[in-house]
Amino acid sequence: MLPPAGIGLRSQHLDELLRTSNRSVFLEMHAENYLRPSPSLEKALQLRRDFEFSVHAVGLSLGSADGIDDGHLDRIAQLVERLQPALVSEHLSWSAFEGRFFNDLLPLPYTEEALEIVARNIGRVQDRLGRQVSIENPSRYLGFRCPSLTEAEFLDELTRRSGCGLLLDINNVAVTAHNLGLDPADWLNELPGEAITQFHLAGHTRTVLDDGSTILIDDHGSRVCGEVWSLFDDVLQRFGPRPTLIEWDTDIPPLDVLLDEATRANGALPRADTRDVALAA
Amino acid sequence: MLRSLRDTQAAFAAHLAGHDRLDLVAAIAGDPRTALQRLQLHRHHVASSIGAALAATFPTVAAVVGQECFGLLARDFTACTSLADPVLSRYGEHFHRFVAAKQDMHGLSYLADVARLDWALNVAFHAPNEPRLSDADLATWPQEYLPKLSFRLPAGSSLVESAWPIDLIWQASQPGTPVDRVDLAAGPARLVVFRRCEDAAFAVLAPGEAVFIKCLSRGNPLATAAQHAAQAQSDFDLATTFGRMLGLRLLGPNATT
Repeated sequence: MLPPAGIGLRSQHLDELLRTSNRSVFLEMHAENYLRPSPSLEKALQLRRDFEFSVHAVGLSLGSADGIDDGHLDRIAQLVERLQPALVSEHLSWSAFEGRFFNDLLPLPYTEEALEIVARNIGRVQDRLGRQVSIENPSRYLGFRCPSLTEAEFLDELTRRSGCGLLLDINNVAVTAHNLGLDPADWLNELPGEAITQFHLAGHTRTVLDDGSTILIDDHGSRVCGEVWSLFDDVLQRFGPRPTLIEWDTDIPPLDVLLDEATRANGALPRADTRDVALAA
Repeated sequence: MLRSLRDTQAAFAAHLAGHDRLDLVAAIAGDPRTALQRLQLHRHHVASSIGAALAATFPTVAAVVGQECFGLLARDFTACTSLADPVLSRYGEHFHRFVAAKQDMHGLSYLADVARLDWALNVAFHAPNEPRLSDADLATWPQEYLPKLSFRLPAGSSLVESAWPIDLIWQASQPGTPVDRVDLAAGPARLVVFRRCEDAAFAVLAPGEAVFIKCLSRGNPLATAAQHAAQAQSDFDLATTFGRMLGLRLLGPNATT
């Protein structure tokens, strides 16, 4: 079972985490940073003795029309086998085409064809890992002209077809809603709350395009902003608590700052009905 | 018109490679100008994140040429060398060849060798942390067998040789180092790169030591490696070199005959 709040595992904090007696948070590992042997992997495996973990993959490219790279999936499976994390997650996006990998979470058109492909790819990943995978709603900077489904409808149908869980990234909801002119409340209304296994919180930046419009960039480089904390409160009222992670991937601050954000997230979670997340078989 | 997910991803991939695709722009909601700006966000992010990954793998090259110039190098390299793996630390194996081929780098003839050193350190850092041979292990072996034994270098170890003092260039590039000038006439560098417990490192070798380690890494027994080393350096001393290698933990645990 994961503790109520967690932080992203960053190489800058490994030594300090190994020394700390504060074991109240869970740690989320970006899988692709730990697939090769390294001193960092060895330290992460040491930390696993004392901390609960979740594993967050960014390179499986679940939305690829080409399918899943078996070699990469095998490496992820080996890491998951070694680490035995409480949760494994990936993104509703694509990042590879014809053997080329793009280091970005690229948007999908929410069509019936895409739904079939993503559900099939998730099925392959879940079969290989022998466990459920949770799918994260992405930050979006553009929308396709003729989608058949809204993003929340797409996620809802995906959980039905593949049996996957949902990782609800609340910052991504705020970013996507702003960038595409959506109402976050409408977006949340369509979401299957019972499938949610985890929440993510993070910071974003605001930039101005040439046409004068503002766009939010999901850069994970600052504290969670007030708007996202408010949305988090709304989400907690709708769906109840889930293990909640503070993501911080650029301009990494001292560990205390991340723990401070995790403490704030923890304080917002209702005590009474914290939902257990069982260690997946 | 983009009729399938595959069509859309092919168009997007072309866009990320720098080719504007009107059919992709037409598939994006909003007016074409706004759609193109939003597509450019993805193109910029892909280029900048891969450039940052290259800079992390080649910190000495980036320090030598400066971040702006390195950004241009990275942009040109990524344009002709696609990323094939989501593990970014695997990207850049042939960056040194690209640097060597750049005509406008002719004033920095040593830069390709600096790139080779950065890559060797990256490979060593990501090598398994294997057990190493120690003095205590060695003491248990009959001494008369030693000359016939072949020793394996630990995984990730490599020899990097250059006509330029790339060790001094590397040292000068370290943050906080007061050196801002390197004497390029300081002579060639022979370096053995290896993984340590916490990081990767290199040690400077004498000519005979370099030959000795090269011979060992090719599977030659100790006596043969020592003979070649003595030919390269008349005052080569086997005991000193072997002791140094043990001290650096540069010998794998399983010697063979």
